[in-house]
Amino acid sequence: MRSIWAMTRANLKMSLRNRQALFWNLAFPALFILIFGAVFGRGLKIDINVGLIEPLNGYGEQVAAAMSSTSAFTVTRGSQEAELAALEAGTRSVVLAFPGPGDPPAATIYSGPMTDPNSAVAQSAVREVLLAASGSALPVTISAETVNAAQISFMDTFLPGILAMSLMNSGIIGLSTAFVNYRERGILRRIKVTPFPLTSFIFARVLSQVLMAVLQSVILVGMAWALFDFRPRGNLTVIFLTILIGALAFLAIGFAISGISPNAETAASYANLITFPMLFLSGIFFSMSNAPAWLQPITKVLPLPYLVEALRSVMTYGHGLSAIWIDLVVLLGVFAVAMVIAVRFFRWDSRSA
Amino acid sequence: MAIDAAVGTSATPSPKPPMIEAHGLVKRYGTHVAVDHLDLVVHDGEIFGILGPNGAGKTTTLEMLEGLRPPDEGTIRVAGFDPARSPNEVKRVVGVQLQSTSLFDYLTISELVALFAALYNADGSPERVTRLIDQVGLGEKRDARIDQLSGGQRQRVAIALALVNDPKVVFLDEPTTGLDPAARRTLWSTVQGIRDAGTTVVLTTHYMEEADVLCDRVAVMDRGKIVACDTPARLVDALAADATVRARVTGDLPMDDLRALPGALRVECISPGDRCEEITITTDDAQGTLVGLLALADRARVPLAGLTTRQATLEDVFLSMTGRAWEDEPTEAAPEQPTGRRGRRRGGKVG
Repeated sequence: MRSIWAMTRANLKMSLRNRQALFWNLAFPALFILIFGAVFGRGLKIDINVGLIEPLNGYGEQVAAAMSSTSAFTVTRGSQEAELAALEAGTRSVVLAFPGPGDPPAATIYSGPMTDPNSAVAQSAVREVLLAASGSALPVTISAETVNAAQISFMDTFLPGILAMSLMNSGIIGLSTAFVNYRERGILRRIKVTPFPLTSFIFARVLSQVLMAVLQSVILVGMAWALFDFRPRGNLTVIFLTILIGALAFLAIGFAISGISPNAETAASYANLITFPMLFLSGIFFSMSNAPAWLQPITKVLPLPYLVEALRSVMTYGHGLSAIWIDLVVLLGVFAVAMVIAVRFFRWDSRSA
Repeated sequence: MAIDAAVGTSATPSPKPPMIEAHGLVKRYGTHVAVDHLDLVVHDGEIFGILGPNGAGKTTTLEMLEGLRPPDEGTIRVAGFDPARSPNEVKRVVGVQLQSTSLFDYLTISELVALFAALYNADGSPERVTRLIDQVGLGEKRDARIDQLSGGQRQRVAIALALVNDPKVVFLDEPTTGLDPAARRTLWSTVQGIRDAGTTVVLTTHYMEEADVLCDRVAVMDRGKIVACDTPARLVDALAADATVRARVTGDLPMDDLRALPGALRVECISPGDRCEEITITTDDAQGTLVGLLALADRARVPLAGLTTRQATLEDVFLSMTGRAWEDEPTEAAPEQPTGRRGRRRGGKVG
């Protein structure tokens, strides 16, 4: 036990000191969260400051009521000078004036420079409310839609995908390159002449890999929490279990690759060959529901989509174990098959025996 | 030709049982016979060197003794255990430094030594770790990471790891290959320190000088066989010729007179033109040959230039045993030291 723990601790130390691995396992996914979060994260969380110039006619009051009933708009009333000044200062996205008696309905939209993407979004949202309020359709239907969109943010669906990606990368790429490297450089042979058994060596590696996966998850989730108000909705134990099973499935694939690859170059190309398509066919960056029919079956045989789906189901929608057990069983199956291949093809030595 | 590698023991029985005994070892890779019916005996407490050119089968032999490779034929006993039958017992009593093993780059020396202590279930306390690192002369580097060390320092770390389980015998596979001469000498004194502390050392090398200076006994290996095995001094002494005399001549010296010089065994002559310009005389009586040559040159009034004599080395042993010149990278100049310091501990016993 002491030797297994010592090996695990050494593995963890080495993982934390390996800058290249840290980049792929932590900095790379973190960068995705930052970039995508900055571009899309705020845009979808609609919060539009609208200024209404008093006095309001009947149509104006109808628009004001429609806007107040959704959380997407923050409505302020004021004099023309005050509101236009606020628009210039940037504290209003859009300012509306309602000239005349309100029948036929008419409105003037004052807005900031169109180069600001938020201003464009705000204008189109305001136009929609104006149209709705003027016609026969009830404004209530619009506000209901807006409320839903505001609740599940971009980050809510994006983060579980990125988390799955980082688990895949550290498992498949990280473990396979590390192991082939150990073998090529004779480190495995050196371990072999100690009384430390192979099973313990592999167990220590699995243990440290899983601990790293948990650390990785905590950091990525914590980052999204702090910067983009991400809040996982599901049960923490179920989330943990999903992360654990996902990490196991991918590290087993990494083991298998290290076993069947004759050298580091081959291992790297196998690892990329497997991870790259999965990255884009797993619905992390865009939904696969619009993909052509012939692509759909492929996503069903790749392990990553199952982990993405399970993590989203739990973290984004707060579902329980009953909703994701099939995904987990598939991932455990992947773990078992890959592990059998890994043990079957394991070699201490890159030379012939 | 002396092929019996166990000569050392058969002549004078050692009071203790040998640390390592191997008989009839054979290892084949496909049709290639890497190790060909090899016998060897390593005594307790000696530095035993296996000297041979690249591809002679040194590493394969060592790996069979360590239990890393099963022999196709033959028997091995290491500290009383058979590596094939009791691999774990052997692993506990041997320390191993593998050829060109690199180590976990991202650990410090202390961390690495402590890790290996744990893998052996040996004492890995900070005091012991420090002592082991001091023993290989890396005391001030103990908190440096492996990837910051030079090649010689890494080899010394590998040796510290080989000592972590207090082994009875340490195997070092080409410990100084690729090191500069200064680092090589530092490592030699480390290895001698290990031997002086009572641990048997078995090492392979393709450096003549290393075998000569460092080893108590040397097995000269070629093409999977041990062609000679004794102390370096006795190996050289056993040669028919123990020196060569060389000189440039600027006149005519009759070949017959040269061949008739006292002790002369073979006379070679380099003659770019029709005249003999440089002569090389292989001799078993350097003094007699030299005196005779000087008298001969004097009588013929032929000036001699660049007169040198060279004592025979293990290189000549290899040449005489295999009939082939040493094909490896050239070794440095033959050591200047007298042979008396060789076989310090066992010199009287082996023979």
